Amino acid sequence: MLVSNIEIIPGKRIRQHLGMVQGNTVRAKHAGRDIMASVKNIFGGELKGYTELLTEAREEAVGRMVRQAESIGANAVINVRFSTSSVAAGAAELFAYGTAVVLE
Amino acid sequence: MTEYSNPQIPEGINISAEHPLKDFFLMLSAISFALVLAVLLLSMFAGQLVRFIPFSVEQTLTENLGQWQLQLPETDSPDEESAAATLPDDEQALAQSNTEKQVYNARVEAYLQQLGNHLLENSKRPLPVALHYIDSDIINAFATLGGHIVVTRGLLTILPNENSLAMVLAHEIAHVQHRDPIVALGRGLTVGLALMCITGNGDGAMAQQLLGEVNLLVGLRFSRDAETAADQAALELLLQHYGHVASADQLFQYLRRHQGDAPIEWFSTHPLHDQRIAMIDRFAAKHRLAQMETTPLPAWLQISGHSIN
Amino acid sequence: MLDIIIFLVLLALGYGFGRWAEKKHFASIIEREELLRGLLTFSGRFPPQGLGPLETVLVDGNVVISVDYFKRISAALRSLLGGRVTAYESLLERARREAILRMKQQAFDSGASHVINVKLETASISKGYGKQVGSVEVFAYGTALIPQST
Repeated sequence: MLVSNIEIIPGKRIRQHLGMVQGNTVRAKHAGRDIMASVKNIFGGELKGYTELLTEAREEAVGRMVRQAESIGANAVINVRFSTSSVAAGAAELFAYGTAVVLE
Repeated sequence: MTEYSNPQIPEGINISAEHPLKDFFLMLSAISFALVLAVLLLSMFAGQLVRFIPFSVEQTLTENLGQWQLQLPETDSPDEESAAATLPDDEQALAQSNTEKQVYNARVEAYLQQLGNHLLENSKRPLPVALHYIDSDIINAFATLGGHIVVTRGLLTILPNENSLAMVLAHEIAHVQHRDPIVALGRGLTVGLALMCITGNGDGAMAQQLLGEVNLLVGLRFSRDAETAADQAALELLLQHYGHVASADQLFQYLRRHQGDAPIEWFSTHPLHDQRIAMIDRFAAKHRLAQMETTPLPAWLQISGHSIN
Repeated sequence: MLDIIIFLVLLALGYGFGRWAEKKHFASIIEREELLRGLLTFSGRFPPQGLGPLETVLVDGNVVISVDYFKRISAALRSLLGGRVTAYESLLERARREAILRMKQQAFDSGASHVINVKLETASISKGYGKQVGSVEVFAYGTALIPQST
Protein backbone atom coordinates (compact mmCIF):
# COMPACT_ATOMS: atom_id res chain seq x y z
CA MET A 1 0.00 0.00 0.00
CA LEU A 2 1.43 3.29 -1.11
CA VAL A 3 0.60 6.27 1.05
CA SER A 4 1.59 9.68 -0.20
CA ASN A 5 0.60 13.29 0.16
CA ILE A 6 1.23 14.18 -3.46
CA GLU A 7 -1.45 13.80 -6.06
CA ILE A 8 0.50 12.46 -8.99
CA ILE A 9 2.84 9.56 -8.41
CA PRO A 10 5.76 9.92 -10.84
CA GLY A 11 5.88 7.15 -13.41
CA LYS A 12 2.56 5.68 -12.37
CA ARG A 13 -0.80 6.17 -13.95
CA ILE A 14 -3.96 6.22 -11.88
CA ARG A 15 -6.41 3.74 -13.27
CA GLN A 16 -9.24 4.28 -10.80
CA HIS A 17 -10.24 6.91 -8.25
CA LEU A 18 -12.18 5.33 -5.41
CA GLY A 19 -13.04 8.35 -3.30
CA MET A 20 -12.16 9.45 0.20
CA VAL A 21 -10.92 7.14 2.92
CA GLN A 22 -10.44 8.20 6.53
CA GLY A 23 -8.85 6.94 9.67
CA ASN A 24 -9.20 8.41 13.12
CA THR A 25 -8.36 7.63 16.70
CA VAL A 26 -8.66 9.43 20.01
CA ARG A 27 -5.93 8.78 22.50
CA ALA A 28 -5.31 9.86 26.06
CA LYS A 29 -2.13 9.77 28.05
CA HIS A 30 -2.35 8.34 31.54
CA ALA A 31 -2.20 10.58 34.58
CA GLY A 32 1.39 9.60 35.37
CA ARG A 33 2.58 10.92 32.03
CA ASP A 34 0.59 14.10 32.58
CA ILE A 35 2.38 14.65 35.86
CA MET A 36 5.78 13.92 34.36
CA ALA A 37 5.01 16.33 31.54
CA SER A 38 4.07 19.11 33.93
CA VAL A 39 7.37 18.60 35.72
CA LYS A 40 9.19 18.66 32.42
CA ASN A 41 7.39 21.88 31.54
CA ILE A 42 9.47 23.63 34.17
CA PHE A 43 12.73 22.73 32.48
CA GLY A 44 11.56 22.63 28.89
CA GLY A 45 12.69 20.06 26.38
CA GLU A 46 11.01 17.26 24.52
CA LEU A 47 8.10 15.49 26.16
CA LYS A 48 9.07 11.98 25.10
CA GLY A 49 5.92 10.43 26.50
CA TYR A 50 3.69 12.69 24.45
CA THR A 51 5.77 12.35 21.31
CA GLU A 52 5.47 8.61 21.59
CA LEU A 53 1.74 8.81 22.23
CA LEU A 54 1.06 11.01 19.23
CA THR A 55 3.29 8.89 17.00
CA GLU A 56 1.41 5.78 18.01
CA ALA A 57 -1.92 7.47 17.51
CA ARG A 58 -0.96 8.79 14.09
CA GLU A 59 0.22 5.35 13.03
CA GLU A 60 -3.10 3.93 14.11
CA ALA A 61 -5.05 6.56 12.22
CA VAL A 62 -3.05 5.87 9.06
CA GLY A 63 -3.50 2.16 9.65
CA ARG A 64 -7.25 2.54 9.80
CA MET A 65 -7.29 4.69 6.69
CA VAL A 66 -5.23 2.05 4.87
CA ARG A 67 -7.65 -0.65 6.01
CA GLN A 68 -10.53 1.30 4.54
CA ALA A 69 -8.63 1.69 1.28
CA GLU A 70 -7.79 -2.01 1.15
CA SER A 71 -11.37 -2.98 1.82
CA ILE A 72 -12.52 -1.19 -1.33
CA GLY A 73 -9.76 -2.63 -3.46
CA ALA A 74 -7.34 0.29 -3.68
CA ASN A 75 -3.57 -0.14 -3.80
CA ALA A 76 -2.58 3.41 -2.87
CA VAL A 77 -3.78 6.42 -0.93
CA ILE A 78 -2.72 9.73 -2.34
CA ASN A 79 -3.11 13.32 -1.28
CA VAL A 80 -3.08 12.28 2.41
CA ARG A 81 -3.69 14.98 4.98
CA PHE A 82 -3.39 14.85 8.73
CA SER A 83 -5.31 16.80 11.28
CA THR A 84 -4.81 16.83 15.03
CA SER A 85 -7.25 18.34 17.46
CA SER A 86 -7.69 18.10 21.17
CA VAL A 87 -11.26 17.08 21.76
CA ALA A 88 -10.97 16.89 25.54
CA ALA A 89 -8.50 17.79 28.23
CA GLY A 90 -5.67 15.31 28.03
CA ALA A 91 -6.96 13.57 24.92
CA ALA A 92 -5.89 14.16 21.34
CA GLU A 93 -7.66 13.18 18.19
CA LEU A 94 -5.57 12.11 15.23
CA PHE A 95 -7.25 12.08 11.88
CA ALA A 96 -5.88 11.09 8.48
CA TYR A 97 -7.72 11.19 5.18
CA GLY A 98 -6.89 10.88 1.53
CA THR A 99 -8.05 9.55 -1.82
CA ALA A 100 -7.98 5.82 -2.41
CA VAL A 101 -6.76 4.97 -5.92
CA VAL A 102 -5.76 2.00 -8.00
CA LEU A 103 -2.34 2.51 -9.58
CA GLU A 104 -1.17 0.66 -12.64
CA MET B 1 -8.89 6.52 -19.18
CA THR B 2 -9.14 6.92 -15.46
CA GLU B 3 -12.27 5.67 -13.82
CA TYR B 4 -13.98 7.47 -11.00
CA SER B 5 -16.20 5.75 -8.43
CA ASN B 6 -17.13 5.76 -4.73
CA PRO B 7 -17.40 2.17 -3.52
CA GLN B 8 -19.00 1.56 -0.16
CA ILE B 9 -16.53 1.33 2.71
CA PRO B 10 -17.36 -1.33 5.30
CA GLU B 11 -18.49 -0.12 8.72
CA GLY B 12 -16.55 -0.28 11.93
CA ILE B 13 -12.98 0.41 10.82
CA ASN B 14 -12.77 3.68 12.70
CA ILE B 15 -14.69 2.48 15.75
CA SER B 16 -13.46 0.07 18.37
CA ALA B 17 -15.77 -2.88 18.77
CA GLU B 18 -15.52 -2.99 22.56
CA HIS B 19 -18.78 -2.64 24.45
CA PRO B 20 -18.82 0.74 26.20
CA LEU B 21 -20.19 -0.64 29.48
CA LYS B 22 -17.54 -3.32 29.74
CA ASP B 23 -14.87 -0.76 29.01
CA PHE B 24 -16.37 1.56 31.59
CA PHE B 25 -16.46 -0.98 34.40
CA LEU B 26 -12.97 -2.22 33.66
CA MET B 27 -11.66 1.31 33.94
CA LEU B 28 -13.72 2.01 37.04
CA SER B 29 -12.46 -1.05 38.86
CA ALA B 30 -8.85 -0.40 37.88
CA ILE B 31 -9.02 3.17 39.13
CA SER B 32 -10.86 2.28 42.33
CA PHE B 33 -8.31 -0.41 43.07
CA ALA B 34 -5.44 2.02 42.56
CA LEU B 35 -7.09 4.64 44.75
CA VAL B 36 -7.84 2.23 47.58
CA LEU B 37 -4.28 1.00 47.47
CA ALA B 38 -2.91 4.53 47.50
CA VAL B 39 -5.10 5.59 50.42
CA LEU B 40 -4.17 2.46 52.34
CA LEU B 41 -0.46 3.04 51.82
CA LEU B 42 -0.84 6.69 52.72
CA SER B 43 -2.69 5.91 55.94
CA MET B 44 -0.09 3.33 56.96
CA PHE B 45 2.63 5.84 56.26
CA ALA B 46 0.80 8.48 58.29
CA GLY B 47 0.32 5.97 61.10
CA GLN B 48 4.08 5.48 61.25
CA LEU B 49 4.79 9.19 61.09
CA VAL B 50 2.46 10.30 63.89
CA ARG B 51 4.35 8.08 66.31
CA PHE B 52 7.04 10.74 66.22
CA ILE B 53 4.69 13.29 67.78
CA PRO B 54 5.78 13.55 71.42
CA PHE B 55 3.25 12.43 73.99
CA SER B 56 3.44 15.84 75.66
CA VAL B 57 1.97 17.42 72.52
CA GLU B 58 -0.89 14.97 72.71
CA GLN B 59 -1.45 16.00 76.32
CA THR B 60 -1.44 19.71 75.53
CA LEU B 61 -3.92 19.09 72.74
CA THR B 62 -6.37 17.46 75.10
CA GLU B 63 -5.60 19.62 78.11
CA ASN B 64 -8.93 21.37 78.03
CA LEU B 65 -10.84 18.24 77.30
CA GLY B 66 -14.18 18.72 79.01
CA GLN B 67 -16.50 16.07 80.23
CA TRP B 68 -18.94 16.90 77.42
CA GLN B 69 -16.35 16.08 74.81
CA LEU B 70 -15.99 12.59 76.12
CA GLN B 71 -19.73 12.06 76.40
CA LEU B 72 -20.94 9.10 74.44
CA PRO B 73 -23.66 9.51 71.89
CA GLU B 74 -26.76 8.54 73.86
CA THR B 75 -28.71 5.61 72.55
CA ASP B 76 -32.22 4.68 73.51
CA SER B 77 -32.10 3.73 77.13
CA PRO B 78 -33.49 0.24 77.59
CA ASP B 79 -34.96 0.97 80.99
CA GLU B 80 -36.46 4.33 80.31
CA GLU B 81 -39.47 3.64 82.45
CA SER B 82 -37.55 2.98 85.62
CA ALA B 83 -35.42 6.05 84.95
CA ALA B 84 -38.54 8.15 84.62
CA ALA B 85 -39.97 6.67 87.79
CA THR B 86 -36.96 7.60 89.87
CA LEU B 87 -36.92 11.20 88.66
CA PRO B 88 -37.59 13.42 91.68
CA ASP B 89 -40.43 15.88 91.25
CA ASP B 90 -38.97 18.52 93.44
CA GLU B 91 -36.37 20.87 91.92
CA GLN B 92 -34.45 20.99 95.15
CA ALA B 93 -34.40 17.27 95.45
CA LEU B 94 -33.09 17.13 91.90
CA ALA B 95 -30.28 19.54 92.73
CA GLN B 96 -29.60 17.57 95.89
CA SER B 97 -29.36 14.30 94.03
CA ASN B 98 -27.23 15.94 91.33
CA THR B 99 -24.69 17.04 93.91
CA GLU B 100 -24.69 13.62 95.46
CA LYS B 101 -24.17 12.13 92.07
CA GLN B 102 -21.24 14.41 91.38
CA VAL B 103 -19.59 13.46 94.62
CA TYR B 104 -20.16 9.82 93.87
CA ASN B 105 -18.86 10.11 90.32
CA ALA B 106 -15.75 11.89 91.53
CA ARG B 107 -15.20 9.07 94.01
CA VAL B 108 -15.49 6.44 91.30
CA GLU B 109 -13.13 8.40 89.12
CA ALA B 110 -10.57 8.63 91.89
CA TYR B 111 -10.87 4.89 92.48
CA LEU B 112 -10.36 4.16 88.77
CA GLN B 113 -7.39 6.53 88.65
CA GLN B 114 -5.82 4.81 91.62
CA LEU B 115 -6.28 1.37 90.10
CA GLY B 116 -4.85 2.63 86.80
CA ASN B 117 -1.81 4.10 88.52
CA HIS B 118 -1.18 0.84 90.35
CA LEU B 119 -1.23 -1.02 87.08
CA LEU B 120 1.10 1.54 85.52
CA GLU B 121 3.66 1.15 88.30
CA ASN B 122 4.85 -2.05 86.70
CA SER B 123 5.31 -0.52 83.29
CA LYS B 124 8.85 0.24 82.25
CA ARG B 125 8.49 3.68 80.72
CA PRO B 126 4.94 4.66 81.51
CA LEU B 127 3.01 7.40 79.76
CA PRO B 128 0.62 8.92 82.30
CA VAL B 129 -3.08 8.18 81.98
CA ALA B 130 -6.12 10.12 83.16
CA LEU B 131 -9.23 8.12 83.95
CA HIS B 132 -12.77 9.34 83.52
CA TYR B 133 -16.08 7.91 84.60
CA ILE B 134 -19.27 8.46 82.66
CA ASP B 135 -22.69 7.87 84.13
CA SER B 136 -24.13 6.00 81.20
CA ASP B 137 -25.85 2.67 80.72
CA ILE B 138 -23.81 1.93 77.62
CA ILE B 139 -21.22 -0.75 78.25
CA ASN B 140 -18.05 0.83 77.03
CA ALA B 141 -14.47 1.74 77.79
CA PHE B 142 -12.11 3.52 75.48
CA ALA B 143 -8.77 5.27 75.32
CA THR B 144 -8.23 8.49 73.44
CA LEU B 145 -5.60 11.16 72.85
CA GLY B 146 -3.46 12.42 75.70
CA GLY B 147 -3.84 9.27 77.78
CA HIS B 148 -7.48 9.88 78.59
CA ILE B 149 -9.37 6.69 79.36
CA VAL B 150 -13.12 6.59 79.79
CA VAL B 151 -15.11 3.93 81.61
CA THR B 152 -18.89 3.86 81.77
CA ARG B 153 -21.19 2.86 84.60
CA GLY B 154 -22.67 0.22 82.33
CA LEU B 155 -19.34 -1.52 82.17
CA LEU B 156 -18.84 -1.51 85.93
CA THR B 157 -22.22 -3.16 86.48
CA ILE B 158 -21.28 -6.25 84.52
CA LEU B 159 -17.86 -6.85 86.05
CA PRO B 160 -17.81 -9.29 89.02
CA ASN B 161 -14.53 -8.21 90.63
CA GLU B 162 -11.62 -5.81 90.55
CA ASN B 163 -9.44 -8.16 88.54
CA SER B 164 -11.75 -8.07 85.59
CA LEU B 165 -11.97 -4.26 85.79
CA ALA B 166 -8.19 -4.13 85.98
CA MET B 167 -8.01 -6.19 82.80
CA VAL B 168 -10.15 -3.64 80.95
CA LEU B 169 -8.15 -0.74 82.34
CA ALA B 170 -4.88 -2.46 81.55
CA HIS B 171 -6.08 -3.04 78.02
CA GLU B 172 -6.85 0.66 77.53
CA ILE B 173 -3.64 1.66 79.31
CA ALA B 174 -1.75 -0.56 76.89
CA HIS B 175 -3.38 1.31 74.02
CA VAL B 176 -2.06 4.54 75.46
CA GLN B 177 1.40 3.05 75.97
CA HIS B 178 1.42 1.85 72.37
CA ARG B 179 0.30 5.30 71.14
CA ASP B 180 -2.64 3.66 69.42
CA PRO B 181 -5.06 6.61 69.77
CA ILE B 182 -2.88 9.07 67.90
CA VAL B 183 -2.02 6.49 65.26
CA ALA B 184 -5.72 5.80 64.74
CA LEU B 185 -6.44 9.53 64.62
CA GLY B 186 -3.60 10.14 62.16
CA ARG B 187 -4.80 7.37 59.92
CA GLY B 188 -8.40 8.45 60.14
CA LEU B 189 -7.53 12.03 59.27
CA THR B 190 -5.32 10.96 56.39
CA VAL B 191 -8.01 8.77 54.93
CA GLY B 192 -10.57 11.52 55.41
CA LEU B 193 -8.38 14.11 53.72
CA ALA B 194 -7.51 11.75 50.89
CA LEU B 195 -11.18 11.01 50.30
CA MET B 196 -11.89 14.71 50.28
CA CYS B 197 -9.19 15.25 47.67
CA ILE B 198 -10.56 12.44 45.55
CA THR B 199 -14.18 13.45 45.68
CA GLY B 200 -13.10 17.03 45.21
CA ASN B 201 -15.76 18.56 47.44
CA GLY B 202 -13.41 19.42 50.24
CA ASP B 203 -12.07 22.80 51.24
CA GLY B 204 -10.42 24.33 54.27
CA ALA B 205 -13.67 24.62 56.16
CA MET B 206 -14.35 20.94 55.76
CA ALA B 207 -10.89 20.04 57.03
CA GLN B 208 -11.53 22.20 60.07
CA GLN B 209 -14.77 20.42 60.67
CA LEU B 210 -13.05 17.09 60.32
CA LEU B 211 -10.38 18.02 62.83
CA GLY B 212 -12.83 19.46 65.29
CA GLU B 213 -15.15 16.51 65.09
CA VAL B 214 -16.00 15.45 68.62
CA ASN B 215 -16.69 11.93 67.47
CA LEU B 216 -13.06 11.58 66.54
CA LEU B 217 -12.06 11.47 70.17
CA VAL B 218 -14.73 9.01 71.15
CA GLY B 219 -14.94 6.81 68.11
CA LEU B 220 -11.31 5.99 67.44
CA ARG B 221 -10.92 2.56 65.94
CA PHE B 222 -7.76 0.62 66.42
CA SER B 223 -6.53 -2.06 64.11
CA ARG B 224 -6.98 -5.67 65.09
CA ASP B 225 -3.23 -6.10 65.52
CA ALA B 226 -3.20 -3.18 67.93
CA GLU B 227 -6.03 -4.81 69.91
CA THR B 228 -4.21 -8.10 70.16
CA ALA B 229 -1.01 -6.37 71.21
CA ALA B 230 -2.96 -4.41 73.82
CA ASP B 231 -4.48 -7.63 75.18
CA GLN B 232 -1.04 -9.17 75.45
CA ALA B 233 0.40 -6.15 77.22
CA ALA B 234 -2.63 -5.94 79.50
CA LEU B 235 -2.12 -9.53 80.65
CA GLU B 236 1.50 -8.73 81.47
CA LEU B 237 0.44 -5.73 83.54
CA LEU B 238 -2.21 -7.79 85.30
CA LEU B 239 0.23 -10.57 86.07
CA GLN B 240 2.70 -8.15 87.57
CA HIS B 241 0.05 -6.43 89.65
CA TYR B 242 -1.88 -9.43 91.03
CA GLY B 243 0.60 -12.25 90.44
CA HIS B 244 -2.01 -14.10 88.37
CA VAL B 245 -4.50 -13.42 85.65
CA ALA B 246 -7.63 -15.01 87.04
CA SER B 247 -10.90 -13.37 86.00
CA ALA B 248 -9.18 -11.56 83.15
CA ASP B 249 -11.57 -13.09 80.68
CA GLN B 250 -14.74 -12.16 82.59
CA LEU B 251 -15.69 -9.30 80.33
CA PHE B 252 -15.24 -11.34 77.19
CA GLN B 253 -17.22 -14.19 78.67
CA TYR B 254 -20.00 -11.74 79.38
CA LEU B 255 -19.83 -10.23 75.92
CA ARG B 256 -19.94 -13.66 74.35
CA ARG B 257 -23.04 -14.53 76.33
CA HIS B 258 -24.75 -11.30 75.39
CA GLN B 259 -23.77 -11.01 71.78
CA GLY B 260 -26.35 -8.97 69.93
CA ASP B 261 -27.90 -7.67 73.13
CA ALA B 262 -28.77 -4.02 73.43
CA PRO B 263 -26.67 -1.35 74.66
CA ILE B 264 -23.22 -2.82 73.92
CA GLU B 265 -21.60 -0.63 71.35
CA TRP B 266 -18.10 -1.62 72.00
CA PHE B 267 -15.78 -4.25 70.57
CA SER B 268 -17.17 -4.29 67.06
CA THR B 269 -13.67 -4.09 65.60
CA HIS B 270 -12.13 -6.15 68.32
CA PRO B 271 -10.93 -9.69 67.78
CA LEU B 272 -13.57 -12.36 68.26
CA HIS B 273 -14.40 -12.97 71.88
CA ASP B 274 -13.59 -16.66 71.56
CA GLN B 275 -10.13 -15.91 70.27
CA ARG B 276 -9.47 -13.46 73.05
CA ILE B 277 -10.68 -15.87 75.71
CA ALA B 278 -8.51 -18.60 74.21
CA MET B 279 -5.53 -16.28 74.27
CA ILE B 280 -6.13 -15.36 77.90
CA ASP B 281 -6.51 -19.05 78.76
CA ARG B 282 -3.21 -19.88 77.11
CA PHE B 283 -1.53 -17.08 79.03
CA ALA B 284 -3.17 -18.15 82.27
CA ALA B 285 -2.08 -21.75 81.79
CA LYS B 286 1.54 -20.64 81.70
CA HIS B 287 1.20 -18.68 84.92
CA ARG B 288 -1.00 -20.92 87.00
CA LEU B 289 -0.69 -20.55 90.75
CA ALA B 290 -2.14 -22.57 93.60
CA GLN B 291 -3.55 -19.47 95.18
CA MET B 292 -5.51 -17.28 92.80
CA GLU B 293 -7.63 -15.00 94.87
CA THR B 294 -9.61 -12.31 93.17
CA THR B 295 -10.10 -8.91 94.73
CA PRO B 296 -13.68 -7.76 95.04
CA LEU B 297 -14.80 -4.38 93.86
CA PRO B 298 -15.20 -1.84 96.68
CA ALA B 299 -18.48 -2.26 98.49
CA TRP B 300 -19.53 1.39 98.11
CA LEU B 301 -19.71 1.05 94.34
CA GLN B 302 -23.45 1.31 93.62
CA ILE B 303 -23.78 -1.19 90.89
CA SER B 304 -26.40 -3.63 92.05
CA GLY B 305 -29.36 -1.53 90.90
CA HIS B 306 -28.23 -1.41 87.31
CA SER B 307 -27.23 -4.98 86.88
CA ILE B 308 -28.33 -6.37 83.55
CA ASN B 309 -26.81 -9.76 84.01
CA MET C 1 -25.67 10.40 49.10
CA LEU C 2 -27.99 12.55 46.99
CA ASP C 3 -25.02 13.51 44.85
CA ILE C 4 -24.28 9.90 44.12
CA ILE C 5 -27.87 9.18 43.17
CA ILE C 6 -27.96 12.17 40.82
CA PHE C 7 -24.67 11.06 39.34
CA LEU C 8 -25.90 7.52 38.73
CA VAL C 9 -29.17 8.71 37.24
CA LEU C 10 -27.32 11.04 34.88
CA LEU C 11 -24.96 8.25 33.97
CA ALA C 12 -27.79 5.85 33.21
CA LEU C 13 -29.71 8.50 31.27
CA GLY C 14 -26.58 9.43 29.33
CA TYR C 15 -25.87 5.84 28.51
CA GLY C 16 -29.43 4.95 27.52
CA PHE C 17 -30.22 7.99 25.44
CA GLY C 18 -26.69 8.32 24.07
CA ARG C 19 -26.72 4.74 22.84
CA TRP C 20 -30.16 5.11 21.37
CA ALA C 21 -29.34 8.40 19.62
CA GLU C 22 -26.10 7.02 18.24
CA LYS C 23 -27.77 3.95 16.83
CA LYS C 24 -30.46 6.03 15.20
CA HIS C 25 -27.95 8.49 13.82
CA PHE C 26 -25.78 5.77 12.30
CA ALA C 27 -28.80 4.18 10.69
CA SER C 28 -29.76 7.51 9.19
CA ILE C 29 -26.19 8.20 8.04
CA ILE C 30 -25.93 4.84 6.27
CA GLU C 31 -29.28 5.34 4.59
CA ARG C 32 -28.48 8.82 3.30
CA GLU C 33 -24.99 7.77 2.20
CA GLU C 34 -26.62 5.16 0.06
CA LEU C 35 -28.91 7.79 -1.47
CA LEU C 36 -26.02 10.12 -2.30
CA ARG C 37 -23.63 7.41 -3.49
CA GLY C 38 -24.01 8.61 -7.06
CA LEU C 39 -22.38 11.91 -6.13
CA LEU C 40 -18.64 11.22 -6.15
CA THR C 41 -16.32 12.85 -3.65
CA PHE C 42 -12.54 13.03 -3.79
CA SER C 43 -9.85 14.78 -1.87
CA GLY C 44 -7.77 15.32 -5.01
CA ARG C 45 -7.39 18.78 -6.45
CA PHE C 46 -7.81 17.97 -10.14
CA PRO C 47 -11.21 17.42 -11.68
CA PRO C 48 -11.74 14.23 -13.64
CA GLN C 49 -10.96 14.68 -17.33
CA GLY C 50 -13.55 14.62 -20.05
CA LEU C 51 -16.42 16.07 -18.11
CA GLY C 52 -17.04 18.86 -20.56
CA PRO C 53 -17.86 22.38 -19.49
CA LEU C 54 -18.16 22.73 -15.71
CA GLU C 55 -19.37 25.25 -13.24
CA THR C 56 -17.65 25.15 -9.85
CA VAL C 57 -19.12 26.17 -6.53
CA LEU C 58 -17.87 25.94 -2.98
CA VAL C 59 -20.02 23.65 -0.89
CA ASP C 60 -19.76 22.98 2.83
CA GLY C 61 -21.46 21.19 5.64
CA ASN C 62 -20.97 21.28 9.36
CA VAL C 63 -22.36 19.58 12.42
CA VAL C 64 -21.98 20.01 16.16
CA ILE C 65 -22.56 16.92 18.23
CA SER C 66 -22.62 16.96 22.00
CA VAL C 67 -21.09 14.35 24.21
CA ASP C 68 -23.44 12.48 26.48
CA TYR C 69 -22.75 12.24 30.20
CA PHE C 70 -21.72 8.61 30.09
CA LYS C 71 -19.13 9.24 27.38
CA ARG C 72 -17.79 12.21 29.23
CA ILE C 73 -17.26 10.23 32.43
CA SER C 74 -15.89 7.30 30.49
CA ALA C 75 -13.41 9.57 28.72
CA ALA C 76 -12.43 11.21 32.00
CA LEU C 77 -11.65 7.79 33.47
CA ARG C 78 -9.73 6.88 30.35
CA SER C 79 -7.64 10.01 30.58
CA LEU C 80 -6.42 8.80 33.97
CA LEU C 81 -5.41 5.42 32.62
CA GLY C 82 -4.33 6.44 29.14
CA GLY C 83 -5.01 4.63 25.92
CA ARG C 84 -7.64 4.69 23.25
CA VAL C 85 -10.67 6.79 24.09
CA THR C 86 -13.26 4.55 22.46
CA ALA C 87 -16.12 6.71 23.71
CA TYR C 88 -15.08 9.59 21.48
CA GLU C 89 -14.18 7.57 18.41
CA SER C 90 -17.74 6.78 17.45
CA LEU C 91 -18.72 10.34 18.24
CA LEU C 92 -16.18 11.80 15.84
CA GLU C 93 -16.96 9.23 13.19
CA ARG C 94 -20.60 10.22 13.35
CA ALA C 95 -19.81 13.92 13.22
CA ARG C 96 -17.47 13.57 10.28
CA ARG C 97 -19.77 11.47 8.17
CA GLU C 98 -22.69 13.75 8.96
CA ALA C 99 -20.68 16.83 7.92
CA ILE C 100 -19.66 15.19 4.63
CA LEU C 101 -23.26 14.16 4.04
CA ARG C 102 -24.51 17.71 4.53
CA MET C 103 -21.85 18.97 2.14
CA LYS C 104 -22.88 16.37 -0.41
CA GLN C 105 -26.53 17.23 0.06
CA GLN C 106 -25.76 20.84 -0.69
CA ALA C 107 -23.83 19.82 -3.80
CA PHE C 108 -26.62 17.48 -4.84
CA ASP C 109 -29.19 20.27 -4.48
CA SER C 110 -27.19 22.48 -6.83
CA GLY C 111 -27.05 19.66 -9.36
CA ALA C 112 -23.38 18.70 -8.99
CA SER C 113 -21.96 15.38 -10.15
CA HIS C 114 -18.66 15.48 -8.23
CA VAL C 115 -17.16 17.13 -5.18
CA ILE C 116 -13.39 17.48 -5.31
CA ASN C 117 -10.68 18.78 -2.99
CA VAL C 118 -12.69 17.86 0.09
CA LYS C 119 -11.14 19.01 3.36
CA LEU C 120 -12.19 18.46 6.93
CA GLU C 121 -11.77 20.49 10.09
CA THR C 122 -12.46 19.36 13.63
CA ALA C 123 -12.86 21.72 16.53
CA SER C 124 -14.02 21.24 20.07
CA ILE C 125 -16.28 24.06 21.08
CA SER C 126 -17.96 25.05 24.34
CA LYS C 127 -15.23 23.76 26.53
CA GLY C 128 -17.24 24.12 29.64
CA TYR C 129 -16.86 23.21 33.24
CA GLY C 130 -13.56 21.67 34.19
CA LYS C 131 -12.28 21.87 30.62
CA GLN C 132 -14.40 18.89 29.72
CA VAL C 133 -15.43 18.79 26.12
CA GLY C 134 -19.04 19.76 25.67
CA SER C 135 -19.33 19.15 21.97
CA VAL C 136 -17.32 18.70 18.81
CA GLU C 137 -17.77 20.49 15.54
CA VAL C 138 -16.77 18.96 12.25
CA PHE C 139 -16.69 21.12 9.16
CA ALA C 140 -16.37 19.66 5.68
CA TYR C 141 -15.85 21.71 2.55
CA GLY C 142 -15.03 21.08 -1.07
CA THR C 143 -15.61 22.19 -4.61
CA ALA C 144 -18.72 20.94 -6.35
CA LEU C 145 -18.50 20.34 -10.10
CA ILE C 146 -21.76 21.09 -11.90
CA PRO C 147 -21.86 19.89 -15.51
CA GLN C 148 -23.14 22.54 -17.91
CA SER C 149 -25.32 21.52 -20.80
CA THR C 150 -24.27 23.57 -23.78
